[in-house]
Formats: sequence, structure tokens, C-alpha cells
Amino acid sequence: MSEPILSVRGLRKNYGGVPALQGVDFDVARGEVCGLIGPNGSGKSTLFDCCTGLQKSDAGSVLLKGIDITGWPMNRIAREGRLLRSFQKTVVFPTMNSEQNLVLAGQMASFPGVASTFSIGPKSRARIKALRERAQELIEVSGLSRVAHLPAGNMSGGQQKLLQFATMLMPEPELVLLDEPLAGINPILIEKVIQCIESANRNHGITFLVIEHNTDVLMNLSHRVIVLHQGQKLADDTPEAIVRNPQVVEAYLGG
Amino acid sequence: MALTPITTITTLDTPHAPSARLPAVRWGTAGTALLALALAPLVLDGYYLHALIIAMIFLPPAHGLNLILGYTGMLSLAQGVFFGIGAYASALLSTHFGTPFVLNLVAASLIAALIALPLGIPALRLRTTSFVMCTLGFVVIAQMVAKNWVDLTRGDMGLSGVARPKIGFGDTTLAITQIPQYFYLILVVAVLATLAFIALIRSPAGRCMVAIRDNETLAESLGIPTWTYKLIVFMLSAAFAGLGGSLYAHYETVVSPLVFQMYYSNTILIIVLGGGVGRVPGAIIGSFLFVAVTEALRVTPELRMILYGFVLLLLVFVFPQGVAPLIERATEKLSRLGVKQEKSL
Repeated sequence: MSEPILSVRGLRKNYGGVPALQGVDFDVARGEVCGLIGPNGSGKSTLFDCCTGLQKSDAGSVLLKGIDITGWPMNRIAREGRLLRSFQKTVVFPTMNSEQNLVLAGQMASFPGVASTFSIGPKSRARIKALRERAQELIEVSGLSRVAHLPAGNMSGGQQKLLQFATMLMPEPELVLLDEPLAGINPILIEKVIQCIESANRNHGITFLVIEHNTDVLMNLSHRVIVLHQGQKLADDTPEAIVRNPQVVEAYLGG
Repeated sequence: MALTPITTITTLDTPHAPSARLPAVRWGTAGTALLALALAPLVLDGYYLHALIIAMIFLPPAHGLNLILGYTGMLSLAQGVFFGIGAYASALLSTHFGTPFVLNLVAASLIAALIALPLGIPALRLRTTSFVMCTLGFVVIAQMVAKNWVDLTRGDMGLSGVARPKIGFGDTTLAITQIPQYFYLILVVAVLATLAFIALIRSPAGRCMVAIRDNETLAESLGIPTWTYKLIVFMLSAAFAGLGGSLYAHYETVVSPLVFQMYYSNTILIIVLGGGVGRVPGAIIGSFLFVAVTEALRVTPELRMILYGFVLLLLVFVFPQGVAPLIERATEKLSRLGVKQEKSL
């Protein structure tokens, strides 16, 4: 196996004395879709928070493409590490329309620094024009054309979910962490989101780490599944082996 | 851990995509208003021109507050502090070194922004209400410094004899001494400040500000260094306030610790909230509206402050988003006039 895109080593995190992560180790290989399952409160979202810099871990390290990013601020991990994440509760910028949401998501990747974003000169406008074209493509692919002019806060929950997913692809990331991408959406939309993940993985080589409670879908989607239980890694195997693992069945999947 | 924004800005729910003619209609409306303003000295006497000048002096600080509150979502009560710093900076430069008006204007903005830097670094670590309290603290500190650093500020006596502006055109120099001359000078500065404000919010950075206002954690997760942007916006809002302070010093020719009264921060806040927070015309409409209301209330000096309070209450209840949305709806309708007729045929 080539160098993993993400390596987590001995990660620990306590919330006021309550352990959320108790020394978690795992690797995610470049180009794979990796599932992350476990009961509520098993530390999945905390793991995402610590990998992306939203929360500071108490111990352990996170390596992204071999570089130790432990303690980096969230924006630097996103910008330099090209690691993006979605949140459990769908979040978009509510007062901006779809195009503005998408352009903003791509902005930091296409401008060389903070100072250059204050310019309204021709160079800056050309960059924004390119981003808008890309945004329009993504709006079309996501099927959001009809509502694209609305402020995102006025779109339906499913539409916001699609927009959020398009947002993740905008800056051409290398690794995307999805926190329950299928929660609260209808079966047709589930199919659409899965297609989007598969196409982004296959055609653009984007690596995914996906938290999802819809295990049937996740087992089909993932190349490998990691199971967390009470802040520890319980299993790390192929989907076929995971569903037969007695420990996993007892802790999470049920009989 | 998403930040609850201090202001909730709702967008106008338009059923259609905006008309392509909307920008033209907007600029047209702005141009007409500017033309009317430019013609004001021909019909109005000195007293009313003075009132309009006060409105335009408050305009740049109000733009600054709109930038930080309306577009970035942080309530700063320190605009009055930077207004006062701009006024003192100009007065000190003018009385000590006799530097020209234009230089003082630029220097006042720069000094205000530079002082905002060390204040912003600790203050911006705080969120929502703690940040507001911190900026309130700056007002109290500024008052104390202005009163007690007598060597620099001459304390309560203040600085008088600030030179009236002189504008050089090649070989000739125009001394600004009369009200109509002041009116045009300050109008030019106010228009330039407004254009700078529009350029800022239309730049890619302006989009980042709105992102921070809408959801700071999401913005951060998309690679936007939110803290850096907030610091820059804090400094820019101070620069706008310093510009207003400099205009004030050169117009009144006297600066005293009274410029650090809470009154100035309050006035700037009322202008922005009354006009329309987070909207381009907000501060513009607000500053003229504010002056119109205070002038209109002069007819009853005894009841003035009580009525003023009632007007504020009325404004909050009838126009919770300020007056600007009315104008925006009107221009929106105007831009559709022709389109509707075509459809009905």
C-alpha cells in the first residue's frame, strides 16, 4: 500500500472527564471510500472534529499525506491539506444563493492569499468568473438549477444537502469527511448522493471517509469499514467481514 | 459549536431571479439622489446645509460599522472611539505641524486602523456579547485617556484652532471657509468613502465577511482564515471612522474629550440599524434620516428627547430591518416595469 492519505495515531479526547476517544489508530488509503460506523456517542463525530482541527485532541497525532497536522487551525487544514468535511446538521450559508455558496467554497483554493481577495481588479474578476462557471456546472449536475437563485436558507432540506455536497467538491479536495450525508433525505435523493460520491471517487480520485447509520447503503458504498465503540476501534475490515464480525454485530449492527 | 450571529439578516424573498436591469436601476437611483444632493446648496440656506454636512460626516463611520456589523456580524460599540482618534489625530497634526487637510485625512484613517490592531487582537478572541462588552470598555478607556493625557490632548480644554482645509489645484489654492464649500468638500469625501465601501463588499473578501456572519465554523471549514478577516475588518471599520473624525475636526476646528462620549457610538449604531444593516444603502439612508429626524424635532425643544425615543421605537417596530429594504423593493419593482408589460401582452 502506498503512503496513507490520513493516519490517526493514538488519538485521545475527553469532554470534561468523559472520554470520547481513547486512543484510536487507523489509516485511510488514497483513493478509497472508507466507512465509519458505531453506536451514538462512540466518538465518530469527535474523531472528525479532531482530524479537521475543529477540536483540539488531548493526545495523539493526525498525519495528512505524511505531514503532522495536529494542532493546525481548521482553515489551514482545509486550505493546505485539501481536507474538507460536512457537518451532521446540514449547513450552507443561508443568505447566499447556490452560486455564491459554491464560489465562496472554491475561493480560498484559487486565490493566493488573504490580501489578494480584497482586489476587484481584472485578475481577481477572472478568477471569480472561472469559479462561477464551475459553480454553474455543479449546480446543473446537482439538479439545483430551478432553485439556484434562492437564498440557500430558503431551499428545502434535501436541496441544501445537495448544495452542501456540491460545496465539498468545489475546491477540488483530496480527502472529504462526510458526517451522515444520507440522514433525513428521501430514497431517490439517497441514490443521487451515492452516485455523486461514487463518481467523485472514481473520476476525480477523491478519498472519502463517511459516517453513516444507513449501514446497508454504507456497506455497498465502502471499500473498507472502521467500527468505533466507546471511543475505541472495535474492527477495521472489508464490509463483508464486518457484517459477520460477532463483536460488531453485538455492539452495533444487532442480530 | 456554531456561533449564534448577533444580527439576524433575512434576505428579501424574491419569487424570480433578479432582473438584468436591476443594477442599472440601482445606480440610476443613486445617481439621481447624488445629483439632488449636489444641487442642495443652490436652494438650501446655511443652516440646512450644516445639517446635511453633519449627516455626511457620520456617513463614513456608519459604513465602517455596517462593514463589521452588517457584513461580518460583530457588534462593535467602539466606532465612536476611532471617530475620536481620527479627530484628535487630525487636530494634533494640524495644530503641531500645520500639515495639509488631505494628508491629515489619510493619516487619521491610518492611525485609527493602526490603533485598532492591538485592540482587535485580544478583543476578537471574544465572541458575541463578550466582544460587545470589550468594545464598550474601549470607549471608557478612550474618554479617560483624552481627559488625563494632558500633555498631548490638553485634557478638558481640548484642541482648538484646527486649520480650515485648503485644497490646491496646481498653482491656485482654494481655502475652504464657507458652508457651501465645506458641503462640496465633504460630499466628495463621503462619495469616495461610499465607493470604497461598495468595492470592499463586492470584492471576494466581502463574500468571506458574509460567510463569517452566516456561519463562522462553516467558513473556517472551507479554508477561510476567519480570524484574520475579522481583524482586517475591525481595522477597516476603524479607518472609516477615523476618516469621519478627521472631517469633523476640520469642520468644527475644535476637538475635546466630548468626541469620545457614548453619544457618537450610539448615533452611528442608530444610523446603521435605522437605515438597514447589511445593505449598501443602509448607512446612507440612515445618516440622512437620522439628521432629518433630529432637525425636525428641534421645533419642540422640551419634548425633543422623548419624541426621539418614540421615533426610535416606531422605527424598530415598523421597520425592524431598517428603511433600506423599502428602497430596495422599489428599485426591484422599477426594474421589472417593462418586463411585466411584455409578459402581459
